[in-house]
Amino acid sequence: MKKARSIKKPGVNIDMTPLVDVIMLLLTFFMLVATFKVESTEAIDVKLPESVVTDTTKLPEKDIMTLTLTKAGDVFLDVDNYKVKEKVFGDPFGVGLFHPDSTSKSEYETTGGNVGGKPFKRKVTILNRAQFEKALVDLRVALKNETNGKSDFRIVLKGDMETDYGIVEDLMAIFKATKNTRFALVTDVKSDSKE
Amino acid sequence: MAGGGFDAPDSGGGLHKQKKYKKGKRIGVRIDMTPMVDVIMLLLTFFILTTTLNTPQIMQINLPKGDESDKIKVDMGDVLYIRVSETGKVYFSRGLSDGTEAAPETITFNDMKGKIEAIYASNPKLLILLKFDRKMKYNYMVDILDEINRAAIEKRYSFMKMEDADKEIVTKAGG
Repeated sequence: MKKARSIKKPGVNIDMTPLVDVIMLLLTFFMLVATFKVESTEAIDVKLPESVVTDTTKLPEKDIMTLTLTKAGDVFLDVDNYKVKEKVFGDPFGVGLFHPDSTSKSEYETTGGNVGGKPFKRKVTILNRAQFEKALVDLRVALKNETNGKSDFRIVLKGDMETDYGIVEDLMAIFKATKNTRFALVTDVKSDSKE
Repeated sequence: MAGGGFDAPDSGGGLHKQKKYKKGKRIGVRIDMTPMVDVIMLLLTFFILTTTLNTPQIMQINLPKGDESDKIKVDMGDVLYIRVSETGKVYFSRGLSDGTEAAPETITFNDMKGKIEAIYASNPKLLILLKFDRKMKYNYMVDILDEINRAAIEKRYSFMKMEDADKEIVTKAGG
C-alpha cells in the first residue's frame, strides 16, 4: 500500500466547475417555480376543460374559495385559509362535501371515503343544501373576522370536463341566493388553437 | 472555487501528508466536488419531479344580482338563444320583435364565433341567452363561453334554465 501511494498516478482530471454552475442554475430555477403538493392540502384531481380566452387572467394567489366538481357529481368546498377552515369545518384541513343531486348519494359516501377512485385522507363534512349555503356565507364571514375585513374570498369553480352542466346550474342558483354573484371558472390553457 | 494544481489526487494519510508538506511540495487546495454534485443532482431531480408548470387560467363570470330593480325589459328582437342539447349540439335561434323566435339553426362549433360576430354586426344590442341541457357536459359550457369570449363583441350573455319547451325545440331540430 505504501508503495502505491508514493507513485504518482496519471489521473484524468475533469473540471466539474462549469457542470456545477449549470446544475446550480437549474436547481435555483426549479426551486423558485416549485409548488408543492402536501398530502393534507391535497387537491381533488379533476380534468380541467381547456379554453383559449384572450385575456390572460391568472388564478389569484390567495384567498380563494375552491369548489371542485368531480365527475361523480360531488361538489367539494375548500378554502386556502386553514384558520377559517378550522372554524367552519372543525379541522384545519377539512373540506365540505355537497351532492346537489338529491336522488343519489355522493361517491364519498357510497365508496366509503373514495374520491375519484382514490381514498381521500382529509376530513370531509357532508353538507346538505341549506348547510352548504350556510357554509359559503360562514367561510366568508370567518375570513373577514380573521383579517379585520381586509380580504374576501374569490370563488373559483374547478369542474371536471365530464361533470354534468346541471350541477353548475344548481351552483349558480346557490350563488345567486347567497349573493355571491362573481365567480370564475378554472380552465387549462388550450395548447392548439383552432385558428 | 479554486482550481487545483497539477498533481494527481493525493490519497495519503495524515502522517504522510505532513511529511510531504515538510518536503516543500507544492500545496494545491483541491476540493473534491463529486459529493456536492451528487447531492445537487438529487435535489434537482426532486424539484423537477415535484414541479407542476402549468398555471391554470380563469374565466370570470358575473351573475345578475337578482334584485327586482335589476330586471330589465329586453326587446325580443335583440335576443339570440343558444341552446345546447345533451350531446353538445348547438342551436342558434334569433328572437323576433313580436315575441316569437325564428326557427333554430344548427351551428357547428367552428362556425360559432363567426356566426356570433355576424349577428352582432347586424344588431349591436345583441343579448345572448344560453340554455344548456342539464345533462350536458360541463366541458361544452366552457367551450361555448370561450367562443363567445373570443368573438369580437360586447359580452352580454346570461344563463337561463332549459325548460321542457326548449328541449322540445331542440329535439325537433334534430336532438
